Amino acid sequence: MDSLTHSRSIWKKAAPYLLIAPTIVWYGFFWARPVIQAFYGGFFDLNGHFTLDNYKFVFNDPYFLQAIFNTFFIAIVSVAVEFVLAFGLSLLINIRFKGAGVFLFIATIPMALPFVAIAAMWKAGLATYGWLNSFLYHVGLIAKNGKIVFMSGNKWPSIFVIIIIDAWGVIPSMMIILVAGMQNLNEELKEAGYIFGGTRLTVLRKITIPLLKSTITTALILRIISAIQIWAIITLMFGYLRLPTLVSQLVFYSDQRAPADPVYYQRALAYSVIVAIIISSIVILYLKVSGSFRKEENG
Amino acid sequence: MADLKLENLSKRFSRKVWGVKKMDLSVKDKEFLVLLGPSGCGKTTTLRLIAGLEEATTGNILIDGVDITDTPPRKRDISMVFQSYAVWPHMTVYDNIAFALRFKHLSKAEIDSIVTETADMVKIDNLVKRYPDQLSGGQRQRVALARALAVKPKIFLMDEPLSNLDAKLRVVMRTELRAIHQQTKATTVFVTHDQSEAMSMADRIVIMKDGVIVQIGSPDDVYFKSTNVFVAGFIGMPPTNFFTVEIIHEGTDIVLKHPFFELKLDNERKSMLYDYSKRSLTFGIRPEDITITSEKNNLLKERALVVEPQGSLQIIALKIDDKIVKLVSAREHTVFPGDMLFLTFKQNKLHFFDIDTGERIGDL
Amino acid sequence: MKKELQRNLVRTARTTTLYILVAGVAMVILFPIYFLVTMSLMSDFEMYNEWPLPMLPSFSMSFKLQNSQKGYLLSIYNKVDNTYLDMLDTNDTGYIINFVKRKTNCTLTREKLNEIIEELKNNSKVEFKLRKNFLLNYTLFFRLKKDAWPAFLRSIYTAVVTILISLSIGGMGGYAFSRYFFKGKNFLKLGVLFVRMFPAVATAIPAAIILGNMGLYDKPIGLAFIYSIGSIGLTIWITASIFLSIPVELEEAAQIFGTSKAGAFWHVTLPLALPGLAACAMYAFIGSWNEYAQAIILTQFNPTFPVVVFEYVLGATGMAHLATAGGMTLAIPAVIFYLFIRRYILRMWGGVRV
Repeated sequence: MDSLTHSRSIWKKAAPYLLIAPTIVWYGFFWARPVIQAFYGGFFDLNGHFTLDNYKFVFNDPYFLQAIFNTFFIAIVSVAVEFVLAFGLSLLINIRFKGAGVFLFIATIPMALPFVAIAAMWKAGLATYGWLNSFLYHVGLIAKNGKIVFMSGNKWPSIFVIIIIDAWGVIPSMMIILVAGMQNLNEELKEAGYIFGGTRLTVLRKITIPLLKSTITTALILRIISAIQIWAIITLMFGYLRLPTLVSQLVFYSDQRAPADPVYYQRALAYSVIVAIIISSIVILYLKVSGSFRKEENG
Repeated sequence: MADLKLENLSKRFSRKVWGVKKMDLSVKDKEFLVLLGPSGCGKTTTLRLIAGLEEATTGNILIDGVDITDTPPRKRDISMVFQSYAVWPHMTVYDNIAFALRFKHLSKAEIDSIVTETADMVKIDNLVKRYPDQLSGGQRQRVALARALAVKPKIFLMDEPLSNLDAKLRVVMRTELRAIHQQTKATTVFVTHDQSEAMSMADRIVIMKDGVIVQIGSPDDVYFKSTNVFVAGFIGMPPTNFFTVEIIHEGTDIVLKHPFFELKLDNERKSMLYDYSKRSLTFGIRPEDITITSEKNNLLKERALVVEPQGSLQIIALKIDDKIVKLVSAREHTVFPGDMLFLTFKQNKLHFFDIDTGERIGDL
Repeated sequence: MKKELQRNLVRTARTTTLYILVAGVAMVILFPIYFLVTMSLMSDFEMYNEWPLPMLPSFSMSFKLQNSQKGYLLSIYNKVDNTYLDMLDTNDTGYIINFVKRKTNCTLTREKLNEIIEELKNNSKVEFKLRKNFLLNYTLFFRLKKDAWPAFLRSIYTAVVTILISLSIGGMGGYAFSRYFFKGKNFLKLGVLFVRMFPAVATAIPAAIILGNMGLYDKPIGLAFIYSIGSIGLTIWITASIFLSIPVELEEAAQIFGTSKAGAFWHVTLPLALPGLAACAMYAFIGSWNEYAQAIILTQFNPTFPVVVFEYVLGATGMAHLATAGGMTLAIPAVIFYLFIRRYILRMWGGVRV
């Protein structure tokens, strides 16, 4: 009798581990192994000899500094711009005017579009003979021969274009987080603010924003994590190397250079490690800020 | 029908937390037994142990003398009504009731007749084709009941089945549950934290606290012969009033001395304290046992603080020695806040408790 | 009275400003999409010979054929400038037919051309109108990019395998997270979150090596294995919340009324979780369908559909109408699934009520 009780409770104790085991195995095999391989492989040459050449190459790569600058500049500026716009939009939706539901629906449409499709759309739009100039002409903002050259390829206009396109594509997902945060906020807290003498602006500044602090941090960090990985939209608009970022260099070396010269695999690995380290530190920061570490074992 | 026995049953959740601690209990055939206690007292854990939803840490559970401690729930010949009803939302009422029957390899006609019969018994025969989300809370509760009745179990378990109903329906269902019990004669273990529910329904009440049984007895037993301060305070609404008093021996007399009154005991009361040697004790007196009297033979006087009219009765609260004391009196003459009241206690309704342990003193 | 009028005025002004703002934002969002759709329906002629681009794609085109020294002179009517543009001067009738199709997405049959040439014997010029083949860009995209269709199928295959893997493995994990307390639960939860947020591109190169050792490099199934990493994490989080929303008592009731724990899952939990699981599957589909960064690295001769579109957009200058058709083909399945599960997605992003 005792042994039976024993075996039953062992199974019961083991059940969650058995259920979670496939995930761990899968992660170990297809995630942990590549990660270790990346860290380890970056220090070897093609013959399996230890070398620092890969990292030396990266740090001497004329594109590397540019990539670092572009990556962080675009990430910081676009996240800032996107946050301001997303916050404004969520305030707008939160007014709950008639048709707010339809507006929310429209505002979230870009979330559904694949980024490659968004790139195709904007590439067609920003061409000098594209639809954006046509549209500006139709509404009378430019003359027929006053077409704006969006894609001149000069550095700052290009960065500007990239930030606009990126913003168009990702503001909705940021907005959704903020809208959710605002909806979960107790209306009465704000109403109390009005009763005790607050104006719209002071209530926003002193009550809404402080209460939304954790939502805002979440939205910002999640955005920064993906903004740092920006590359495809740039590559699709301007090709490789025109406006290099860390990830675009990674893909460029592994996809464009390595087939001809396998040593570029090793160099791309070094890029991988750098990207991984930067982003994991932000992820860990995020987990810390979001309080995930603090939750109790039984929580 | 069957009897149920719990022997030395324990459930330990973690090193420090015991759900149920070394519990011995036997439920007689056809009995309606109520487990009563405040939340966290282990009453629901006990029920879940009987159901097999929790595994016992130690001890045994026997139905008709057969040990079922390690039997999975489905083979225990029990059925259960859950607090949240747990009516499956993706099945019709009919399918909910027939669920268990379909595992019993009965013919379609047999299932049909049992479902109709039980649905009839709980008066939902016109609802069998509906889905739970088309039903009211009370109707869902009846579905849960029908589902439990349909399997004709040896032991019928109910986990606070009435707590989610509104007050009026709750009282109606009490009567109906009792009626159904009279009809089916199923041994029933009923868990509740509502003492009036327990008093009105139970054959016997088991009062639990911190995973341990405090008292087992008929509703009258637990009310009139509360075994300790906890039970006396828990049972009854408004609760028993407690006074801590000094015991003064004046010759052959015994006087209970309180800063606000001195109570001289009659002979029967004195004999109850015969074996008690401590210098003070706690006594309890129920609100209806404090009487309003005339000025000349009062024990103490105090102004009424709050009066709650309750139809033919009134509940009067007043403050004695900074403690709220409540009494219930008839509305013969209505009392108003601020009125001076002259009070006395019915001596034969005094409950004596040990000052330290809180255990009852005396046999009565 | 005057006060009321003033109040009404202020209110009207405020509402009007609000709606102008809302309409403006909606335009900014909708117009690019509108043009994406429109351009995918436009012919080469509309794209590159007419400017400004018309707001609507044409349904038909007007042509003019004249006799010339070389043979025939073909002109196409430019609606914007209201003139005929001379496009082609040749005596090769087959080339004319081909050119009309490629340039304007219209089908000029040989019979029709013969009729027109017959007419030309009596007239100096013949004007004629042809219906545009509306979806020709789409067929053209698949015909020009030879690997587009196989890539399309590979993408579906990859997505389906990804769903199967992540739903079975992640579903089990989600169930464990929602129903059990166990040591290391919080650590595992964090781990899952970390892996999910880890830059997938950074593991793609070593993953390619590992897949290569297994003989799965450049194969959709290998891609699905790698995609599963991210989608298992997502599935765990979604399914855990789905299972949490199904009360344990429903399962317990099933156990009491005649079935085992597994039976309770099968009879009660699974049917109740099904809509949520379907949404989860669709979300996994969208994720896999849209992915290109890892696919670029993990495939070589057998790319997925987004990679094909990616390469086309990257290389295509002067082919925007085909590039947009490719982009649309990529977007349509994603959008359809998105519309199905919009509510779920919004709720997942933090509980937006819609």
